[in-house]
Amino acid sequence: MSEVINKATILDYIGSDIRSDATSVAIRAINMRGRDVIENVAFPTRKDEDWRFIDLKSITKNTFVSVEEANTAGHGDLSSHFLPEALNTRLVFVNGVFNKELSSISDLPNHVIVGNLSEYGEHDAVKEHLGTITNYEDDVFAPFNDAAFNDAAFIYLPEETSVEAPIHILNIFTDAEQAFYATPRLLFVGEMYSKATIIEEHIGLADNVYLNVPVTEFKLFAGAHVHHARIQRDSKKASHVSRPIAMLDRNAEYHSYTICLGAKLFRNEPRVIQNATEVDFTVDGLVLIDGDQIADTHSIMDHRFAHGNSHQLHKVVVNDKAHSIFNGKIFVAKDAQKIDSFQENRNLLLSEEGKVNTKPQLEIFADDVRCSHGATIGHLNDEEVFYLHSRGLTEQKSRELLVYAFALESVESMEVESVEKLLLNEVIKYTTRD
Amino acid sequence: MLEIKNLHAVVEGEDIEILKGVNLKVNAGEIHAIMGPNGSGKSTLSKVVSGHPEYEITEGEILFNGENITEMDADERAHLGLFMAFQYPVEVPGITNKTLLREAYNTIARANDREELDPLEFEDYIESKLDVIDMKHEFLSRSINTGFSGGEKKKNEIFQMAVLNPKLSFLDETDSGLDIDALKVVSDGVNRIANEENAIVMITHYQRLLNYIEPQFVHIMMDGKIIKSGDISLAEELEANGYETLQKELSLNGEAQ
Repeated sequence: MSEVINKATILDYIGSDIRSDATSVAIRAINMRGRDVIENVAFPTRKDEDWRFIDLKSITKNTFVSVEEANTAGHGDLSSHFLPEALNTRLVFVNGVFNKELSSISDLPNHVIVGNLSEYGEHDAVKEHLGTITNYEDDVFAPFNDAAFNDAAFIYLPEETSVEAPIHILNIFTDAEQAFYATPRLLFVGEMYSKATIIEEHIGLADNVYLNVPVTEFKLFAGAHVHHARIQRDSKKASHVSRPIAMLDRNAEYHSYTICLGAKLFRNEPRVIQNATEVDFTVDGLVLIDGDQIADTHSIMDHRFAHGNSHQLHKVVVNDKAHSIFNGKIFVAKDAQKIDSFQENRNLLLSEEGKVNTKPQLEIFADDVRCSHGATIGHLNDEEVFYLHSRGLTEQKSRELLVYAFALESVESMEVESVEKLLLNEVIKYTTRD
Repeated sequence: MLEIKNLHAVVEGEDIEILKGVNLKVNAGEIHAIMGPNGSGKSTLSKVVSGHPEYEITEGEILFNGENITEMDADERAHLGLFMAFQYPVEVPGITNKTLLREAYNTIARANDREELDPLEFEDYIESKLDVIDMKHEFLSRSINTGFSGGEKKKNEIFQMAVLNPKLSFLDETDSGLDIDALKVVSDGVNRIANEENAIVMITHYQRLLNYIEPQFVHIMMDGKIIKSGDISLAEELEANGYETLQKELSLNGEAQ
């Protein structure tokens, strides 16, 4: 942990006292732990290797107050954001605060829990797993979430339980008079051979400045299968710094898909930890940015045991002056033999001013593995454009169709029809703007 | 229908002339073949006619049904009824054949004040064209040329031609890389499309294709020009003696510089 000597901490950008009135003992313990870290760890700067490409100004030039002090606006009718497949498997958080009226969880198998974590402080799974998986070295963001969260989504699946409907975790951010911070949190515990699909969504309703710092923790016991889609549609002025992490036991499968559409600044650090043999996981991403958006993905695929399949397809489209950063680490420990891991980062640059930094990083200490990676940065292929153009499509339409096709592959992995539709619309909006 | 007058073209941004004064006239109901050795400019000719931005026309003009299309964009030429079957059809992952063709068909229909087809009508229409190239229904939902064999790619070009129903088609080495079965399917498709209203220009290196699609006119292209025109017997002569003999013979007669 780097000591703070005349260096800024995250608290320098926070204008309110961080609350410490959580009623749950388990949450209070995590709050205190986080508090201790953020007071003592320096806020990252470009001198830190993992932060050298990213401009953090949209955080550091602001002061964020608590939601209570921000004079937030109302959220209006949110029903257009509800997924028809998840009408009764939905939790809604408005500016990080659980909203019971908008949530609906009547359609769950016996003993499955989908609810506000602050009401389940005494649950064994909470006591055992909350805050134990997140472990980001020298990090200030996960500890900030630790320090400040109270309400959170808690999903618990008992052994051999399958939840048919997707579980929708809807994080809504409203307009406000002042810039505010929010710390959404999600704890998922899937016991042996459980199965679920989680749609985690972040939506900014207005065009305001806020800081969204979510932490999601997924603990999958042996044979658990989880599909986790994360859709980031924050306000175009918001900053979003995410810490989604998953810990997998033997034969577990975890497939995650992160779609980045919104936010001025997006920093996502997905990590998947293989905690036993024979796991299978995906860390896919789709980034569609324009204007002056920055989207940065620093991922870790951490193979600690033998026999695992993992893959990562990170697709990026950059327009205008937007900037994408990708740093994909694949770790394979010394005894983690027979790992089959594949990483691909494909970047499509639509403008001259757009910027892409990409860095695959493989650290392999086992000798019998198959790990590969690739990164491409390119413009639209002129021959492809001409092919469509010669068939009667305008050049503009030809280009739109090709960008759409580039993004499509990632959208098709969603498995939930309404989410797929929603994303297709977003892709069309992105390709046909102006 | 098509009249090319003294057409000169260079690669955009370079001054090496590739077309050095091409003259060609094609009427409705005709099938033409343009033959020539590699590098003679025959593929360039089809690209220039289709409006490829890689080339710049420095002299001459292209008239299509009396209208000067020399400066037109590729899509506008397509709207008028021009079509090029590519020598190397590109793969476009993520866009299905059906998506492209519906977009293309309706765009062309709009430009010509014809009725557009809704998805269901279009499905029926496109379905009815599949047997032109002996393809199954699944062909429609595959991404354009993605993972297609050489033969499938060429069949797809002919299929697109059947669906878009152009007035004039340039087939750029559609026979290259085809095995005999695929060649028969492709030729059969072209013969079914050809009628009194439309015209076809085949660009080819080999006489073999002409056994299956018989042209009324054969042109020999060399060094950026059409140096000799005739009927099918010209192709047969070429097959027997080769380009070199022909070239020598022509220069002896003073017909080529």
